[in-house]
Amino acid sequence: MRAGVVPSTRTARIAVLARLLLRIGGRYASRSPQLVFASVDRRRELRHDLALRSAEEVAEELGAMKGAVMKLGQMASYLDEGVPETFRATMARLQRDAPPMSPDLAASVVTAELGGQPERIFARWDPLPFAAASIGQVHRAITRDGRAVAVKVQYPGVAQSIESDLRNVALLRRVAGMAFPVLDTRSLVEEVGERLREEVDYRLEAQHQELFADYYEDHPMIRIPRVLPDLSTGRVLTSELVSGAGFEELLGWDQRERDLAAETIHRFVFRSLYRLHAFNGDPHPGNYLFHGRGRVTFLDYGLTKRFTPQDLSPLEDAARYIAVERDGEGFRAALERAGFLQPGAPVATEVVVDHLGAFYGTALRDAPLTITPEYASALVRRFFDTRSPLAPYTSIPRTYVVLQRINLGLYGVVGRLNATANWRRIAEEIWPFVCGPPSTAIGEAEARWLARRLPGRPDPRGAPASPGGAATDL
Amino acid sequence: MEPLTHEGLRPLEPLARALSRAVPLRPGDDGLFGPRSTVWRLHRDRSFPVAAVRSLMLQALHPLAMAGVAQHSDWRRDPFGRLAATSEYVLTVTYGERAAAHAAAARVRAVHARVRGVDDVTGLPYRADDPDLLLWVHAAMVDSILCVAERYGRRLEPGDPDRYVAEMVRFAAIVGVPADQVPGSVAGLAAYLASVELLRATPAARDAIAFVLDPPDLDGDMRATWRDLGQVAIGTLPEWARTQYGFPAPPPEAMERETVRQLVGVLDLGFESLPGVLEARQRIELRMRA
Repeated sequence: MRAGVVPSTRTARIAVLARLLLRIGGRYASRSPQLVFASVDRRRELRHDLALRSAEEVAEELGAMKGAVMKLGQMASYLDEGVPETFRATMARLQRDAPPMSPDLAASVVTAELGGQPERIFARWDPLPFAAASIGQVHRAITRDGRAVAVKVQYPGVAQSIESDLRNVALLRRVAGMAFPVLDTRSLVEEVGERLREEVDYRLEAQHQELFADYYEDHPMIRIPRVLPDLSTGRVLTSELVSGAGFEELLGWDQRERDLAAETIHRFVFRSLYRLHAFNGDPHPGNYLFHGRGRVTFLDYGLTKRFTPQDLSPLEDAARYIAVERDGEGFRAALERAGFLQPGAPVATEVVVDHLGAFYGTALRDAPLTITPEYASALVRRFFDTRSPLAPYTSIPRTYVVLQRINLGLYGVVGRLNATANWRRIAEEIWPFVCGPPSTAIGEAEARWLARRLPGRPDPRGAPASPGGAATDL
Repeated sequence: MEPLTHEGLRPLEPLARALSRAVPLRPGDDGLFGPRSTVWRLHRDRSFPVAAVRSLMLQALHPLAMAGVAQHSDWRRDPFGRLAATSEYVLTVTYGERAAAHAAAARVRAVHARVRGVDDVTGLPYRADDPDLLLWVHAAMVDSILCVAERYGRRLEPGDPDRYVAEMVRFAAIVGVPADQVPGSVAGLAAYLASVELLRATPAARDAIAFVLDPPDLDGDMRATWRDLGQVAIGTLPEWARTQYGFPAPPPEAMERETVRQLVGVLDLGFESLPGVLEARQRIELRMRA
């Protein structure tokens, strides 16, 4: 029948077109900016009817400790246990219901920062934000040269009010005490403070995002949206707009997809740490977009910590001694050198290995291991266990505070995915002191990516970029 | 939705229920004042708890008002429940429909009709429905809300304080103070407050206020927060009132706007995490924007 021919022809034509598009766009089937723009639409989740219309309304909503406390809550929201469920639920709700800026107020920030009305600066500007950010909101736009972008706009005045809130350390501690009755809140408060101070300066975030984007350029699984520096300032951050599935959506995909996504997240965190010497301190479900078959876009570089080879050296030693050489004394000495453990603490080395070795639990055995929510919670509980025999002798040196999020955030995320992998083999690929062979399909793809990388880039394999640094003796 | 932490905020739960009940879901009318009034604006300010404590401290300085409470109320058994009842009354008259406001006022009048006695300290007889006493209680509250809002609340326009005092005349009238006796301007309010005789902190008042400033139901960080709040309330009292109680003035840094806003913000965030609070506030906000 004729009628049957037309659709099949059309289908064939569409298929050809689709393949063509795939080829043109590379791994992330490129789509027109208009399509990307149209596909990112979560505006209905925001309470536009309660939009903040002035800096004063912003201060009422986010000043007076509210921003700082919501940040505490945001951190709590991805700790699996150790904080009351009620607190997490409450904070999630407060954050969800935090009203956006009105179109006029958001436009006034863009105008002040970029020197013109957003409708003039951009070829297309969505006056309503499509997503909330902790101290701002994100608008869709298309640049005058035709790129679909996400424009993060900071609430006016929030930087000053957060600065003032953070100076009130006593009150912040008290809030943390109310919210986290069982935890040692000191480190949390310091962490939140540091995090917020860095987060209010979008220039710093742009710099960090570019660091990651440069390193992972052309990576088969990991995508970092590029920053558009000409359209970014201290309070406005413009980067490529990416569409993909959110974390909740991923939870509905099959286990294979979840395993692959978890593997990529895991690789991203540890490769960044061991090879790029940087940690993006926010392993938070809201900061990923999933594209299937293990491909993940990583968003939000608001808190990034960079390490010197000297910083990392004792951490690498600790991993090597506990996981590879099985040398308890060496492990203990490395932790002492890093400042995690007081030298000469009256505690048997077996106790040290037992308690602190747990944080290397995924890398100890060469076998597939499922990271469950229970595993993640146990780690969090252990982390905050003030009754442990080691507790009086351990502390977290300031340099490594941000790494707490590996234990608190990363495993929380991977645990929610119930992901299985041979994490040990993956770790061996990444550990500079092992440089193991590719152990999974993603590992193979990554190895090809490494081989393709242009000469002159910091070599992600083998010795670190700075020859003669303290890390060369590893 | 569960509260912030179960134990710490439990005392505030009656206050949350009061707000939730007082602000109607689908109101048939705009109530006594309406969404454009200064009354609506000032009564939703987050500094309201400071105003409430200041209010109680000032009101208690009238020995006859204090005697009525001391001799007829078992508020000590459930101080936050009692505070919630007062709060629900204020909020219902503010944001409720006209009928709800009048019904609430009628209930208050019925209770007042039964409250009478003789004050131990002055030896004077009192009646809770005495318009003079009711006016004192009203004026102390209006003065407190205004004073705290001006120092710690959202920005007010130049004419707002006078408008507020004038709008609040109705508030006094519905519980039985003849409207022509109620001050209708900031100057009139100040003159009235200066004219009231007999004011002093009786043992009953000192006792009650000590309890209000440090209620036994609170513990830990919540207690510390409430006590700091009480210090701010003390700091906003006129000097004569503060000296009556024998409280020293809090250090100036504790009274700074930003510091107090942060303190109030912490309490408020806890309060807002209780069921129904955010929703009730959104109902108010949306009507004020409409």
